[in-house]
Amino acid sequence: MVKFLSQEWAEQAKKKVLTELDKAKDLKNMNATLLNVIQNIPPDNKTIYYYIKFTEGNLDELITGTDESLKQKQADFIVTGDYTTFIQINNGQMSSAMALLKNRVKMTGNKMKALTITKPIDTYNNCVKGVPTEY
Amino acid sequence: MELARAFAEKEVEPTEALRDIVNSCNMCGICDRQCYFVTQRRPTQAQQALQEYLNTLPPQALKPTPEDDIVKGLRAIVGDEYATNDPVIIASYQRSIIKQKSKGKYYIVMPKTTQEIVAIVNLANTHKIPYLPRGNGTFFGVALQTLLAEPATIEQGIIIDMWRMKDLEVDPESITATIGPGVTSFELQKAAHVHKLRANVAEAESCVIANAQNLGIVTTWSNTYGWGTDNFIDAEYIDSTGTIQHLSDKDIPNPYAAEQGLLSLSLIPSVIVTKLTLKLHQILPDEEAIFIPFNNLPDALDFAHELARRNIGVSLAVLSRKYLTEFISPTHEIAEDFNYIAEKYLNLNYIVDVICDSYSKKIVEDLAPVSFGKEMIKSLILGSSKLSSMKDSSLLKMIGEEEDPLKTVFAGPMRKHFEKGLASSPKELVKDMDKDLQDFFEKLYSKPEMTDPIWLHNYRILPCRMERKHMWMYRGGYMPGDKKTILKVVDALEQPAKQYGIEGAFGFLSYLERGKLCHLEYDYYYDHTDPDARHRVNKAIVESWRQQFAIKGVTPLEFICSKGLHRKEHIIYPLLPGLSKEELEHFEELIETLFGGEDTW
Repeated sequence: MVKFLSQEWAEQAKKKVLTELDKAKDLKNMNATLLNVIQNIPPDNKTIYYYIKFTEGNLDELITGTDESLKQKQADFIVTGDYTTFIQINNGQMSSAMALLKNRVKMTGNKMKALTITKPIDTYNNCVKGVPTEY
Repeated sequence: MELARAFAEKEVEPTEALRDIVNSCNMCGICDRQCYFVTQRRPTQAQQALQEYLNTLPPQALKPTPEDDIVKGLRAIVGDEYATNDPVIIASYQRSIIKQKSKGKYYIVMPKTTQEIVAIVNLANTHKIPYLPRGNGTFFGVALQTLLAEPATIEQGIIIDMWRMKDLEVDPESITATIGPGVTSFELQKAAHVHKLRANVAEAESCVIANAQNLGIVTTWSNTYGWGTDNFIDAEYIDSTGTIQHLSDKDIPNPYAAEQGLLSLSLIPSVIVTKLTLKLHQILPDEEAIFIPFNNLPDALDFAHELARRNIGVSLAVLSRKYLTEFISPTHEIAEDFNYIAEKYLNLNYIVDVICDSYSKKIVEDLAPVSFGKEMIKSLILGSSKLSSMKDSSLLKMIGEEEDPLKTVFAGPMRKHFEKGLASSPKELVKDMDKDLQDFFEKLYSKPEMTDPIWLHNYRILPCRMERKHMWMYRGGYMPGDKKTILKVVDALEQPAKQYGIEGAFGFLSYLERGKLCHLEYDYYYDHTDPDARHRVNKAIVESWRQQFAIKGVTPLEFICSKGLHRKEHIIYPLLPGLSKEELEHFEELIETLFGGEDTW
């Protein structure tokens, strides 16, 4: 078991995606960068940044941390929400698209482009949820 | 009713709240009268069933519900009486805001003030649980039977029932009203009428604020009064951090901007509106109702659009035969006969429904091939039962054989015979109703308001009759007001209904901005207790979205949800091009991501 959003979790998640998902079939050769801003993490309500970068369906980067410099990373999409919501997304209780619909997360970025990556991001999330995680 | 069902299906164990619920009702039967008028149902039967069920239980069977920290916190805010985690009370909210058979942990709280809601939001944030405000649950009532149930609800958390927030103040000098979120359309209209003013409101039982925030208030009066922010002056609301804000605050982010397109679907409001100041409208002393019948939609659209372009009609709409017959008939059985007669013998399939001043009335009468007014409507309402009994009569057959039955009945020499044939009294009208209710309904239908089309348009007590037979799902949307687009959209809604064996019917259409834009309501009717019918209606919904999004400038109704306080200009403009083939493929993926594969819904 690894702690959600820890370095160990990030490493295992990246490894799992790289080994289990097909760049073309599963990740549709997507080119996208996404910064998740995860707020109100207990016990002291800190914020963790969770950044992913895909090039031609390859997961180039998966970084998590509290470092403010992560916030400065160029991202096509910035998704902001509560820790409890990201737990639900990560454990498969709610898709990220449903979280958006339910106003649990806010997203900035080109909505039409977001539409093109909805499915591969969902596939990515489904893969990552397989990492044994504690919250 | 939902609670009786939950007990019958053993979804919930009895608690002490069951005794309170049973004891709170003296079986006076008033709810039977109200409910029968709209839906032909008898809720006292459910109350009777609860009473009988309670009598079978030994006293020790009624367990108290243990308090937890959250309910203690809620009770500290609103008082013990107005917050609960009792599963019996929570069960009664199923299908109106909570999904049926939901396993989530819920709380119900009924605040009285804005400050109490701030405290509730803060409590929810502290405990990291979601919350959702509830008006009268009318939108949830239909959406929760479809695949929209998931995005329209919370899976656990606090239901904030706004029913106690009944503040209502009319200012006749500024011709405005300021209301709390518990005020219904009927209550607001009644208060406005005291000052000879009119509110632009939705169906009588809906809470004005919930309706305004959710759908922007869609009415036949939009021809003059507009939609969305056209109707509102200011709103007080609480954001997700528990901060009170106002639409009129200068420092807040632009509250009128809205997302467009596929990813703009959001069925849960991002803020809780706690106060709304609305525009009211002066009622002209010479307003009259005039109806122009048509046998086909294109002709009805041409006529109504011409009026809209010329700014004629305070209220202006194209109404379907289905709506007309269902609304004015006292029972669904009579409505079905009336519908059959209107289609088969009268060729009455659409009606342009206008309320205007006496000057405009003359213009409408000049332009209309055939028209009728309040006397004929009165005859149709009071004579609907009689008309139903004339089904397949020689008189109707004779009318049906005429070259233009509409002209024959409403303008020609047979008009007098038809009216005479329909001549009826409230006593005759109610003879097909349940016997014990007939006296009440005879008195009710003797009131002039019940046959006054303007009063009925103002108070909107009839529209919910459309769900007498089956559940329905509100479809349609906003689009340019040209006939070509409208007919394409009707087809985009009709074809999927046919494809999946769902009854679909045009509801009504109202114009905005002198006919440049319009709102169309088209409905899917289905038996929501039949899993296969639910499955088919969901497929029809998804397919119709796909087809609607392929048409330029169309925003399906569901994608307007939660944007009622926005400017229509931000939602509708720029007119979006129809989605390309590639974008439609992504749309399929989005649907699958949101709702799963079609076998799951």
